[in-house]
Amino acid sequence: MTIPFFVGLDVDGAGAHPAAATASGQAPADLLSGARLARSVRQAENAGVTFVTFTDALLPAVTGHASSGRLDAVTRAAFVARTTTAIGLVPQVPTTYPEPFHVAAQLASLDHAAAGRGGWLAGVTRTPETAAAYGRAAVDDVEREARDVVQVVRDLWDTWEDDAVIRDVATGRYVDRDRIHYPRFEGASFSVTGPLITPRPPQGQLVVLAAAGDVAPGSREPLVDVALVGGTGAADATAAALESRARPAGSALGTAGPDTSQRGTAQASDARAVDGRAPRAGVEVEVVLDADGRRAADRLRDLDAATPGGVRSPWGAPAPSGTSPLRYVGDGAGLVALLTSLAASGVDGVRLLPAVLDTDLRALVREVLPALRAARVVVPPRPGATLRETLGLPRPANRYARVA
Amino acid sequence: MSTQHPIVRPGAQVHFGVFFQGVNHTTIWSDPESGSQTEFASFERVARTAERGLFDAFFLGEGLRLRESRGLLHDLDVVGRPDAITQLAALAAVTERIGLVATQNTTYNDPADLARRLQSLDVLSGGRAAWNVVTTDNAWTGANFRRGGYLDHADRYERAAAVLATARRIWDAFPDAGTPGTVARVTASAADLRTPLDAVIDPTTPRSPQGHPVIFQAGDSPAGRDFAAANADVIFSAHGSVLTDALDFAADVRRRVVAAGRPEDDLKIFPGTSIIVGDTPDEAEERARWVRTQQVTPATALSIVGNIWGEDLSAYDPDGPLPAHDPVVEELGGERGSATTGARTREIAQRWRAIAETEGLSIRQLVIRNSGERGFVGTPGSVAEDLTRWVRTGAVDGFNISPWIVPSGLDDIVDRVVPELQERGAYRTAYEGTTLREHVGLREPLPWRTERRDEPRESGARAGAGQEGEAAESAA
Repeated sequence: MTIPFFVGLDVDGAGAHPAAATASGQAPADLLSGARLARSVRQAENAGVTFVTFTDALLPAVTGHASSGRLDAVTRAAFVARTTTAIGLVPQVPTTYPEPFHVAAQLASLDHAAAGRGGWLAGVTRTPETAAAYGRAAVDDVEREARDVVQVVRDLWDTWEDDAVIRDVATGRYVDRDRIHYPRFEGASFSVTGPLITPRPPQGQLVVLAAAGDVAPGSREPLVDVALVGGTGAADATAAALESRARPAGSALGTAGPDTSQRGTAQASDARAVDGRAPRAGVEVEVVLDADGRRAADRLRDLDAATPGGVRSPWGAPAPSGTSPLRYVGDGAGLVALLTSLAASGVDGVRLLPAVLDTDLRALVREVLPALRAARVVVPPRPGATLRETLGLPRPANRYARVA
Repeated sequence: MSTQHPIVRPGAQVHFGVFFQGVNHTTIWSDPESGSQTEFASFERVARTAERGLFDAFFLGEGLRLRESRGLLHDLDVVGRPDAITQLAALAAVTERIGLVATQNTTYNDPADLARRLQSLDVLSGGRAAWNVVTTDNAWTGANFRRGGYLDHADRYERAAAVLATARRIWDAFPDAGTPGTVARVTASAADLRTPLDAVIDPTTPRSPQGHPVIFQAGDSPAGRDFAAANADVIFSAHGSVLTDALDFAADVRRRVVAAGRPEDDLKIFPGTSIIVGDTPDEAEERARWVRTQQVTPATALSIVGNIWGEDLSAYDPDGPLPAHDPVVEELGGERGSATTGARTREIAQRWRAIAETEGLSIRQLVIRNSGERGFVGTPGSVAEDLTRWVRTGAVDGFNISPWIVPSGLDDIVDRVVPELQERGAYRTAYEGTTLREHVGLREPLPWRTERRDEPRESGARAGAGQEGEAAESAA
């Protein structure tokens, strides 16, 4: 069975361009309202988008500007969990400063509320100002910290076996304590005892996405399910995607093999990993489309001119791997051609970053997604399917479950 | 009885919240009618039922480590719960009016992160969020967090007050909707936060229709009551079964509220309670007895007594007497995650043995007797009379109901008790507002509580005062 090309769409605030909020003319509270969020995600779901991402950062893009308002990504994703039935919901949660225990519980809870449609865009934070906001010393090796945090969150998701709740009236036991585990994780900068307070998420493990290079290789298992790359052009991005797929992102297994010093409880996942589960590789694409009778290039010129000074994350910022997102500025037909050619070259999918959400989503819904569906490049997710099923990823066995 | 306690608030109405319990032995999971404690549908049904019954709020607890008994996971009670803010965000989209209360710890959360998540829920829900402020101090819980067990017991409320004050400055940093202006930078000092470094925060979350989340607090110690009197909008008390006890508590809390420089009705009192109704008084009593028996299973009775004695008593006969020997440990440790941490076990054992001998009780009967909170038991009409009296004598403003079964546990209350209250003019017939602050009848948030403690209080100070950048930065 071939796995359909995935189309992720970012639905952050007014759009991905730093001038989008100013250009929209809407008040922060309206721009960030639940009604508007639910409407955007519903449009994306109806158009057959595979998953939406919720870009996030603790600090504003422009210090002091009310137009830099943004709500917490997990909270946004959870809000649309019950207003949708098929689309994947992928909040960006940084690995660098938040508490890994809270992150694991929040994402597991999202997956419960969304009946298995949850994902995690694991980001890293390179700004020292974020450390100051947490009142912490800056983390010097953010990729290593990302490795430890993704690893412990994965460990925590498995701490409850799927059938840990037994409700055994005869003995009065609600859970079987032998099916709930303590990972006792020791990372480079923190430790977590466990178990998680939330039962295992419906997918077993949420789908983990990360920019290629953000998560240092782990020693036990591939840590990233979907690696995201950029590039200076389509050929370059395709090469980067194929390269990141050849060597599982966040895994040292491709070269070094499993670390034999790991505890026995981790052996099951080692075995699964070396079985060769290939990660998916997607290309990040910034999108500005012809819309409302205006040419895309003109829209972009106006947006760039309206960009406030002192932007913390400028449009077109380099990805950690050293390349910026691919950028598409033009009409819908050209974008259809680009995505079709990426799919034909073996890229697994894209994450689209619309410059101005309302405007570019309208154009995507009218011109781009219907054409991709008609050409069978994209297959809309099935209502009730988990995000893993949609992406063709297996449901992982629990690492702590004893082999019978 | 009623003649002893004068009606001081003749028109007052009863308010309800519902506490969807997480870890507890009062939810009867063993009953065939009991649904999943994990699936979202259970939470949704309870929240929707409460909203149909025009409740003020739906309330979730928090746990940061699974409970243990003598080094083993406690396996008898409902355990495993969602992250509160995440779950309430999902519930916000399938409800329209009901308030959404998230219990969140000040010890193992960072103010920048926590204030942002709470305010995100408040904005997305259209002004229906609340934060139930709790603290932890033990290293056992800290083992799940980056800082570990870094905080002394005595410092936990100081840290809580500093985190709450910082959160308020973060919420007040944004100009009000429709008002031009910049976002203030918020600072908090290391000394206040009990952490090694200062925090410098540039907030991103705009204000909600109710300004920012309502503050709940649930501590009952003198320090907890003072914290609530100074900081909270609603106190979630444990005094919800005996009217004289509730009146004493209310008088004490109101004294503290006035001493903190607030009008005495500024803090609303919502005790936790349960309600059991039947068609006749006898039927209600019979049902209440059955509920208590189901809640305290033989295994639960032996576990509760075993925790005090500090040993595994599962081989004892639950229908037999308490152990003849003294407890093997001096004091309960924090690792049990129980509310009795630090209590003197031998004193408790002595007291329990005296009661059991005097009243001729077995282990299980004693535990049932000690389960204490009887709540309200009767016909829908008599319960409505009692609840109305509680509110109109000024003992409470409302009740936070813990259903004994999920998800059907509110059905009787919404379908039978609420109409009786409405007939008496003691319950709303429609939501009057859209925000939780409006449901509970709270004044707008008062920034002076955190920013202008030392200045004279202006009664009726409005939200908006003291929100300029200078004020928000001044507390560093």
